[in-house]
Amino acid sequence: MKKLFVILIIALVAFSAFATGEKEASSEQITLEWWTWDATMADTNNAIIAAYEAEHPNVKINNTIITTDGGAYATQLAIMAQQKNLPDVFTISSGNLEDWAEIGYLRDLDDLIAKDKNIFNMFYKGMFDAVKEVAKTDYYCAIPFAYVSCDLFYNKDMFDAAGLEYPNENWTWDDFLKAAKALTIDKNGDGEIDQWGYYGYGRYAEVQAWVIANNGTLINDKMRFAPDAKALEAFHFFTDLVIKYEVAPMPKDMSAMKYNNLFPNEVCAMFVDGGWQVNDFRTKIGDKFRWGVTRVPNGPSATETWTFGWPDSYVLSPTTKYPDQAWDFAKYVAGAGISADQVMGGKLSAYKAIVESPEFVDMTQQPYGDMELFREHANDKFVTTYTKSWSEWVGYGASETMGLNGAIDSILNKEATFDEAMAKAKDGINKILSRVYP
Amino acid sequence: MVKKKSSRYVILVLIILASFVSVFPFLWMVSTSFMSEDVIFALPVRIFPNKLFKAGMWDNYKTVISKYSFGLYTWNSFVISFLAALGQIFVCPMASFAFAKMRFRGRRWIYALLLMTLMIPVQVIIIPEYYLMMKLGWINSFLPLIVPSFLSGALGTFMFISVFEAIPSAMFDAAVIDGASAYKILWRVYFPQATASVATLFIIAFMNNWNDLLRPLLYLNKARLYTVTIGLTRFQSEYTSSWALLLTASVLSILPLIIVYIFCQRYIIENQMSAGVKG
Amino acid sequence: MAQKQKYKWHSWATPWILLFPTLVGLFVFRLIPIVSSFVLSFSDWNLIRDPVFNGFQNYRELFSDPDFWKIFGNTLKITLGYVAGSMVFGLLLALLVNNKIKGMNFFRAAIYMPVITSSVAVGIVWLRILGPKYGIVDFILKKIGVTAPYWLQDTNLALWTVTFVQVWKMAGYYMILFLAGLQSINKDVLEASVVDGATPVQRLFRVTLPMLSPTTFFVFTVAIMDAFKNFELIYAMTKGGPQNATNTLVYSVYVNAFSYFRVGYAETIAWVLMAVVGGLTIVNFYVKKYWAQPLD
Repeated sequence: MKKLFVILIIALVAFSAFATGEKEASSEQITLEWWTWDATMADTNNAIIAAYEAEHPNVKINNTIITTDGGAYATQLAIMAQQKNLPDVFTISSGNLEDWAEIGYLRDLDDLIAKDKNIFNMFYKGMFDAVKEVAKTDYYCAIPFAYVSCDLFYNKDMFDAAGLEYPNENWTWDDFLKAAKALTIDKNGDGEIDQWGYYGYGRYAEVQAWVIANNGTLINDKMRFAPDAKALEAFHFFTDLVIKYEVAPMPKDMSAMKYNNLFPNEVCAMFVDGGWQVNDFRTKIGDKFRWGVTRVPNGPSATETWTFGWPDSYVLSPTTKYPDQAWDFAKYVAGAGISADQVMGGKLSAYKAIVESPEFVDMTQQPYGDMELFREHANDKFVTTYTKSWSEWVGYGASETMGLNGAIDSILNKEATFDEAMAKAKDGINKILSRVYP
Repeated sequence: MVKKKSSRYVILVLIILASFVSVFPFLWMVSTSFMSEDVIFALPVRIFPNKLFKAGMWDNYKTVISKYSFGLYTWNSFVISFLAALGQIFVCPMASFAFAKMRFRGRRWIYALLLMTLMIPVQVIIIPEYYLMMKLGWINSFLPLIVPSFLSGALGTFMFISVFEAIPSAMFDAAVIDGASAYKILWRVYFPQATASVATLFIIAFMNNWNDLLRPLLYLNKARLYTVTIGLTRFQSEYTSSWALLLTASVLSILPLIIVYIFCQRYIIENQMSAGVKG
Repeated sequence: MAQKQKYKWHSWATPWILLFPTLVGLFVFRLIPIVSSFVLSFSDWNLIRDPVFNGFQNYRELFSDPDFWKIFGNTLKITLGYVAGSMVFGLLLALLVNNKIKGMNFFRAAIYMPVITSSVAVGIVWLRILGPKYGIVDFILKKIGVTAPYWLQDTNLALWTVTFVQVWKMAGYYMILFLAGLQSINKDVLEASVVDGATPVQRLFRVTLPMLSPTTFFVFTVAIMDAFKNFELIYAMTKGGPQNATNTLVYSVYVNAFSYFRVGYAETIAWVLMAVVGGLTIVNFYVKKYWAQPLD
């Protein structure tokens, strides 16, 4: 009896393993493959697909979501590209645009755009152009769907308690430093600082925000790492916040917490990071305290206002059998078919109607009216530092303790002097850049 | 067996200590699974969950199972791990018996090659392996995850060789004199002596397949095929993470492993009192 | 009585039949990718183009990289600490747990828990325990007036901390391997020694451990190989930092393959790793005959 039971279980399990049961699509229908990487958007994606399929009965959309964890998304896509079997529409990060465009894995969109008279009434041309610059192509190859910018988050309650005015667009770095000093407090008199004016975690989103706020450049036109005087001034400024002025803690002292939990846990009064934190902070902070967001203050050497920001984009497969339908769907999902609440808070859509809609500034949630900032960003000059092998020389993901990040870590954690660290970084980075830009 | 009472107490104390040291992270995970997102990383560190015994206590679990399809993923992982481990417990003793007891040409070479596969971390071969599976047309099925493990196991083979070596040759000689065929000797004499190893191998093979992330991640693209490990990655994205759900799902993902472990333990306790030398 | 003539108890085909599934699995599903990965180590490949053969260039680049020697050294240190720790604790736990005490099942399961807990969860927990300022260990040590070192952030200490956590996580695994071996020691010999009046300690060292030596050899070999496979925990805890203090060969393989998309170069590092672990294993097998029963 027991033996029969065991055999039955094995049979059931084996059957499950091999039953696939695919439904055949009818011959009238076309199926578009849409690949993305954000699993938290699965429900939103399904809602978008349902709406699109209702309007276009002969089109079926298959959304595959692969995590970027461990490079799984990029690896699979790279293999598919090499097999000339890319999905019709897929997400691509800015760091990969140049490489992929160079080999020809991104479909040229100029013909589709030329046919589409209304396109730049619907979308911001400035963003489309900025993406072209990142890809270093002379043709349009990507539709940006979410621009993220790096901004300054601040704790309004702490500012009030210290009797300080909130940061605003006219702040200088001196204003910033003065406020940070006043906000660095030992609350219970035990000799240890409990509240820091600022926390800089040393990753690219924060570091390059300061450099770009000072109009600095990191890569010269020979494609080598050569921070100019403005960039060096910025590097000195934010590392001095930790090592000289001590208004920000060493990252290694704060490593018991995930870097983006310091601000919600009221350990620091100010924090610079990407706009995507808006969503996260709304969940984590709730009503615990009042907070706001504004631009990173312009540096002393800045002559223009540059914004450090970059897009995630949708691109089309160069071998897609249905370019017109894919183009239509890509536009739809990049803005034409979605509503403001389907865009993650703090991210900027390239679709004008969404950004200009009243819902974009959600007055029911923090940071309330400060969300206007993101509307302003829509017309900003976005500057990035992307090159080929960007994640290798900057230090990102599994390599985030290496590269430029590693060098900055060693400065902030007082393990190396500024000059030592930068010299070592320069050598390492240029070794990488000379490999991809001989 | 320990006879003196005082040494029994010492042993018990040491075991309790070891158990506590081992189990506390799991206890923290369970505790976190009853917390809401904003409470988990708040300071000061909370030990007592805020949702325990209150309304919405099982919210995280409900979300994970229904909204994130963890029931389906658990079943998929179970199918894969069960079949792979099942293959192992038969294929490995067969190979070990041949290595340990028989002479044949190329024996050392094959053994060395098999051992080499044990040395290789998966990251080294995964990309060529992916291309192989692509050529076989096995992408988007369970086959790449089951078949290789079903057919061969370096760890299992190696483990049984040690066990078979420790079986006294008197037993072997007796069986040969009785005129038993090689297969009978394997399945009737050696295999029953190694029940503890069979159970251990099943636990290990099941666990290794259950916890494998890289292979399912690359081979399975259709949501209805996803395993538990893939499911766990869906609580984090480039920009956000849901820690409460992630840790709740982690708790759920461990439970089947514990069940398998406890089920197999019965075979490890049973002493090999029988199957002694005749006469 | 001695029947020393070669009594053919199996046909020539029997070993091949027994080995058939293993051979198919080995040659088709393991060796093909392994050989490919070796060939790839001599190429430059970023996945989106086809591989380009470049001879020994990768190897030259690797050996002239100063970071490589640091990574290599880290790998050897971790191997040493991990193998020693796992063997000692694995055996101790197995001996403790191999007793008929009530509820032993529960304890065995408890000790096994870290093995099956995901590295992600293990990483989160230990980061919170060992974290500076807000961590539990720091909190306790401050009470008694000691400043805790930076367990995971100090470039000299981080590696040993990671090794410690890795041993903590895997001790239960080696415990069950040793346990399986202990369970299959022939009880007759043990009982005979009790009858002879041996004390427990004498029994342990004169009977149990020698009879356990094939299993000990097996566990030792496996532990060495596992020491080179610690990618997941490093990724969860330190990501190779600070300043490559916890970067090991396998972590470097992963970073080069899946972060930098330099698959050829990653395979180069991988095969250096293989050479090292292969070398250690060969040495291990040669030394085996001095302390464990031989395979022949």
